Amino acid sequence: MKKILLLVAVLGITPAYAQKATEQFIPIGRSPGLSDAKTRIGQIESFDPGRAILTLSSGSTRTVAEITAQTRIWLDRTSLILPNLRGVPADLRPGRRCEVRFLKPDSREAEWVKVEPAAP
Amino acid sequence: MNRRFHYPILRAPRARHFLTVLLLGALLPSQPILAADANPELIARGQRLFFQETFNGNGRTCGTCHPAENNFTLDAAYIAHLPERHPLFVAEFIPELREGFENPRLMRQFGLIKENLDGFDDLKNRFVMRAVPHTLAMSRSVASPGGPRTGWSGDGAPGDGSLRAFATGAVIQHFTKSLRRVPGVDFRLPTDDELDALEAFTLTLGRQRDPALPLPLKGVAAQRGQSVFLNDKQGKCNLCHRNAGANARFAGADLGNANFDTGVENLTGTPVQQSGEPMPRDDGFGTPGNGQFNTPPLVEAADTAPFFHNNAARTLEDAVAFYNSEAFNNSPAGRALASLDPNGVGIRLNAGQVRDVAAFLRVINVLENMRQSDELLRANVGRPFFELLQSQGSLVRAAKETDDAIRVLSEAGLHGEAVGHLGLSRLYAQLGGFFFFLADPLSRLAMSELESARAQLIVGDRTGKPMANGSVK
Repeated sequence: MKKILLLVAVLGITPAYAQKATEQFIPIGRSPGLSDAKTRIGQIESFDPGRAILTLSSGSTRTVAEITAQTRIWLDRTSLILPNLRGVPADLRPGRRCEVRFLKPDSREAEWVKVEPAAP
Repeated sequence: MNRRFHYPILRAPRARHFLTVLLLGALLPSQPILAADANPELIARGQRLFFQETFNGNGRTCGTCHPAENNFTLDAAYIAHLPERHPLFVAEFIPELREGFENPRLMRQFGLIKENLDGFDDLKNRFVMRAVPHTLAMSRSVASPGGPRTGWSGDGAPGDGSLRAFATGAVIQHFTKSLRRVPGVDFRLPTDDELDALEAFTLTLGRQRDPALPLPLKGVAAQRGQSVFLNDKQGKCNLCHRNAGANARFAGADLGNANFDTGVENLTGTPVQQSGEPMPRDDGFGTPGNGQFNTPPLVEAADTAPFFHNNAARTLEDAVAFYNSEAFNNSPAGRALASLDPNGVGIRLNAGQVRDVAAFLRVINVLENMRQSDELLRANVGRPFFELLQSQGSLVRAAKETDDAIRVLSEAGLHGEAVGHLGLSRLYAQLGGFFFFLADPLSRLAMSELESARAQLIVGDRTGKPMANGSVK
């Protein structure tokens, strides 16, 4: 019986996983089923590259996110009418608008971050 | 087959396609078949969006790759009948999409569509070529204890990964005017209301429940096939395709719509591989992938060939035979089955058993074709005169479903007498499509022939009343 249950666990129930590739092209605040409900949108207050900690604020709410090697960062250039690009931690600059999706509801680890670049 | 009702003009592929296209316009305004708790206005809007909305993109709609007249999927034979400027072929006539968007040869020869599931950074080398899964009976297959499953690897939707979110990803991947994929320029993203409507419509397509096996089938081959299918020590099919649907059940535990690595990617020498076109390995679920793909329902299999995520199996018999192959039996799923088997065997069927299982799958597909056809025809009985124009669409669809049933049985030489009755039913429905003011009597005649055909296949009636063994279709 244990063997069967192990097989069930290994074979069948892979946790759900949303597609990340097309997420790159969805502007901040437009991710279906996620934006506002399961993500945080705000202005970047600070980013500490050493500790990889991103702090963003929205009104009086402050949110802290941990950026890991697995965190996807996208530059949302929709407002500039330019294609969205993969970003890097250096793009997480104070004052920029961003959206963070956490890996789990009770986790600080960011699954992805979308950030708007500064206007040209 | 009853040769008296063999009309070459109606059976010629081009003529049939022409008639289908001619009458398809009548299909769109007709109401879809609704689930009991459905919102008809939302569904009607979803239907309109599905077939007509291009989202300011390259001209494709959801229905471009999921055409109603081809069971919401694509295959090479269907593609061959499309006009040169059909939006499916945008990579051939929109200069911005000529490189890196599709592979026209693999699309035309094998019905394969390009997907950039692992990112859009290297369009030349990072892509997979996938079949178009039909969208039938999704209300029975999209849910899983692990979360929603969409697309061939179960992870087809962005956002929260739900069926509702799927259209957003599809627009970005398939509807764009250029490879820059700038929202508001190359396409517009669906609104929340549009996503709600598209989801509602999609969930109404096809079956709303799985059959309860075993069915009291009459054909000997189908009976034998059903026994093999349900035998957890022989065919083992019912473990992952419970009641021939898309949901798995192991050791009394329901897994819902599960993902498995069945080794299809390890098949060698397939026609697609021999084409010489670039085909990077498809690693399935996730990025990087774990090799797993999502379980499709089997009730609709026989009239939605080819099979598997890469159209590797051309016929239903090839698809069943795959589970005898080394590719399957050496895969994680095959090895798992072997570990549960007292003789250490994954799946091993003889040639006759393969044919029998396929015959069983053909018959249950035909029973579903007939159920849908009957439902469409029944809507015309007693319809008020001023609504008769709406009958045209449902009669065309009923004829198409019955046509599928005829083809599915004829391909394997099954149930000749039933095929004769189905031919008559199709003829009455086709006539009703032209002479829609006679929709009521022609629908009744078509239904009567369906009933006669059903009597050749199964004990019981169309209403789903308990059958001889207590099962309900």
